[in-house]
Amino acid sequence: MSGGFDRLLDSVVRIDVRELNFEEGARRIDASIGSGVILTQDGLILTNAHVAGPRSVEINVTLSNLERVGARLIGWDHWTDLSLLRINLDDVKRRQLAFKHAEFGDSERLYVGETVYAVGTPHGLTRTVTRGIISNNNRYFEDTEGVDGYETGNFNTWLQTDAAINPGNSGGPLVTEDGRIVGITSRAYLGANNLGFAIPSSIAKRVVASLVRDGSITRSYIGIVPKALQDLEGFYDMATNTGMLVDSVESGSPAAGAGLRAGDIILAIDGRKIDGRFPEQLPPIENLIASQAVGSSLVIAYKRASREASATLVTARLESRMGEEWVSDTWGIGVRKISRAFARENQLHDDTGVLVIGVQRGFPADVAGLARGDIITKINQSPVNSLDVVREVDAAYSARPAPTLFEVQRERRVSLVVLKP
Amino acid sequence: MKRLSLLVAAAACLAGARARAADLPSLWAERAKCTVAVEYVTETELERRPTIAYGTVVDSAGTIILPSAAIDLRISPRQMKDFKVYLPGDPEGSPAEYLGRDAYTGWHFVRAGPSVLGRLVPVTAFTGSAPGRELQLADEVWGVGLRNKDEDFMPYILQSHVALIQSLPQRTAIAQQEVAGPGLPVFDRDGRFVGLGASSFGQTFLEFSGAERGGSPVMLVNLEESSAFLVADEVLPFIGRIPKNVFGRPLAWLGAYGLEPMDREVAAFLKLESQSGAVVSEVLEGSPAEKAGMKARDIILGVDGKPLPRFRPDRVVVDYVERLIAARAPGDILALSVLRGPSRVELRATLEEEPRLVREADRTFFEKIGFTAREFVYGDAIARHSKASELSGVVAHLVKPNSPADIAGLRPDDWIREIDGAEIPGFAAAVATLAAIEKDSSRPETVFLVSRGSDTAVLRIKLR
Repeated sequence: MSGGFDRLLDSVVRIDVRELNFEEGARRIDASIGSGVILTQDGLILTNAHVAGPRSVEINVTLSNLERVGARLIGWDHWTDLSLLRINLDDVKRRQLAFKHAEFGDSERLYVGETVYAVGTPHGLTRTVTRGIISNNNRYFEDTEGVDGYETGNFNTWLQTDAAINPGNSGGPLVTEDGRIVGITSRAYLGANNLGFAIPSSIAKRVVASLVRDGSITRSYIGIVPKALQDLEGFYDMATNTGMLVDSVESGSPAAGAGLRAGDIILAIDGRKIDGRFPEQLPPIENLIASQAVGSSLVIAYKRASREASATLVTARLESRMGEEWVSDTWGIGVRKISRAFARENQLHDDTGVLVIGVQRGFPADVAGLARGDIITKINQSPVNSLDVVREVDAAYSARPAPTLFEVQRERRVSLVVLKP
Repeated sequence: MKRLSLLVAAAACLAGARARAADLPSLWAERAKCTVAVEYVTETELERRPTIAYGTVVDSAGTIILPSAAIDLRISPRQMKDFKVYLPGDPEGSPAEYLGRDAYTGWHFVRAGPSVLGRLVPVTAFTGSAPGRELQLADEVWGVGLRNKDEDFMPYILQSHVALIQSLPQRTAIAQQEVAGPGLPVFDRDGRFVGLGASSFGQTFLEFSGAERGGSPVMLVNLEESSAFLVADEVLPFIGRIPKNVFGRPLAWLGAYGLEPMDREVAAFLKLESQSGAVVSEVLEGSPAEKAGMKARDIILGVDGKPLPRFRPDRVVVDYVERLIAARAPGDILALSVLRGPSRVELRATLEEEPRLVREADRTFFEKIGFTAREFVYGDAIARHSKASELSGVVAHLVKPNSPADIAGLRPDDWIREIDGAEIPGFAAAVATLAAIEKDSSRPETVFLVSRGSDTAVLRIKLR
């Protein structure tokens, strides 16, 4: 193999993560293994968001020389399933450890049939190299719960490869023969033969730059769910390769405010013509919208029935449906803040409340009859506007346990329960 | 001497008991005539499905009551066809008529045709002239069960003792074992009617298997026989509540949705120790409750100046309140005492006729597209969190498997808002539009805009 490939092998790491899980109503630690690739001499590691993220409490990486060293999370972006870590450089210096870093290649120039290699830690087997070809360089899929419950895939298409990808490969690089990173291995169909997927390096490069700079990525949101027009041009009386169908408009969103409706065809955004004939064309269009600065004004030209019109809207900040999580050890309950996206999806009145994600058997919450899926809307008759409200009452309860009144919504039914010491 | 006379008295009692025991076969033979099996067919666009239920004859006009669970409330009375009454042991059924469901008792009323009238005996023939002794624990009771259709609905006897009497909220006796089929009568040792078999209670068993050596709990429900029965006082005063129409209209409506019981601990927390209550989850748009000023999260503590009684279990209070409403008529006033935050509020609601229900909604099947369009009614708007004052569109009630609608992704309960880009103002307009689409054989496709949960979808239905 090339010198570049050798260098790549020396930059791939195994990542051992211990992360918090509140889904049993208690502070549980799960351990998992993934892969990553060192990008810079100062120890930046790129991996998957589903390998290391905000829930991670301990991250250790194993370098190619088999030495283990700690790392911390710099930032993550579940929409593209990417996370950025930094090796503990003090430790590296003290122990005089050495590592190499890899270079990005150009995923845009990949051709179907090109040979690629996946390097990683499948099933904990450190430094495993598998070989395959690019099976498709523009695969479309979205997964609303793909990254530990977080949304993914709306803003990029994926590379598909037949290089063997197994659990533990996640976060490892997909490289060409010269050892350049063209993708970050992310997922595979379990039980299928060699259907593996990777985030293209062209996307990863942009994400890494943002994460280094800001620790996160801010995207714009307008609140439309697009659909490929595919063969509907005739019905809508339009020229081929024009427009993108609006399948759904989220209530309360900027698009709804501007009067856009499901069934409208978006023809242009800020004068840029839109072609959403096929599903593969949708992520770039969504990315175009998401890449606008939050609060920017967009002119949307659209067609409704035979009439063409345009609407101006101001983008809002894109939010995940997953809110912040927390666990009360005294009540034995794990909760997640209701986000605006979750409230919208579930047709809740507003984003007041916390969702119960776990209940520990025999603890006060369980005894009072709380269950996973319940929404706690009030505690002691005060609205639960934030996790802090819950934390405060919990602290008071821990200091001096006393019966506490919860207002709980289950489906659409509201009931009152008392948690007792 | 005194002792001897006591002994003689005891012997006389025993002789009396023996004498009556010998009467049981004749009591039985006479009383089995007030039971029937009722068969009806649920006819949908795709199938005809027969259902059998058991009922009790309540008057000399051949009126029969069936328990609430005998008919699925989601089924439209228009789809229930071919009602037949079978006398116990007789393989020949005779036509009968469905009269509707009474909201207060929950019973369905059916009337037997004239051909069998002479062979039916109403249960009121066994109520006795003098008021009977109130049912007590350990009383011996017996009732009727009916075998299946292939055994000609042969009647059989079930016998037990009263183990417990509860308010649920109706006075309900629970016997030691199964004592009657649901909907069939129960009698005491003298042949007096003492109650009507209720739906049976589930019993929990442990199921053991190779994989589950510790046993896993399963609940079994006996659908054919029940150990629970409504006592006669909860039955006889209401057998005259024959509905005026198959939909059971008029129906009194308050519009306080999702009542949830307030349990003891919550009552204690709110310093309402001796109180029972029901939390109102939502106040429905345009409802009498809304007009009376009721708010979501109000806790109903009293009705008509009387505090709600305590029940075991707490959740029975919900049925109690709902029955108080169902017992009234539209136009009646319901005075409610509610707790709102820290203060008590008195409300007076004028009950109204309940808005059209899903089972009353109009439907039309479109064979070529492959679905049934159903009128969008008030309850649909509530279920979809949409404005009830702006009813529009139609609901896909049934989607025929492998039809163009099915292939395009239309699902039951989808709310069709637009057809071919035009809004659908209501059912009649939808039917006209869809009929025109079906009639036009040159048309290649039709496009529906549907709402589903919080999303919408544009569905392209290929017709050729």
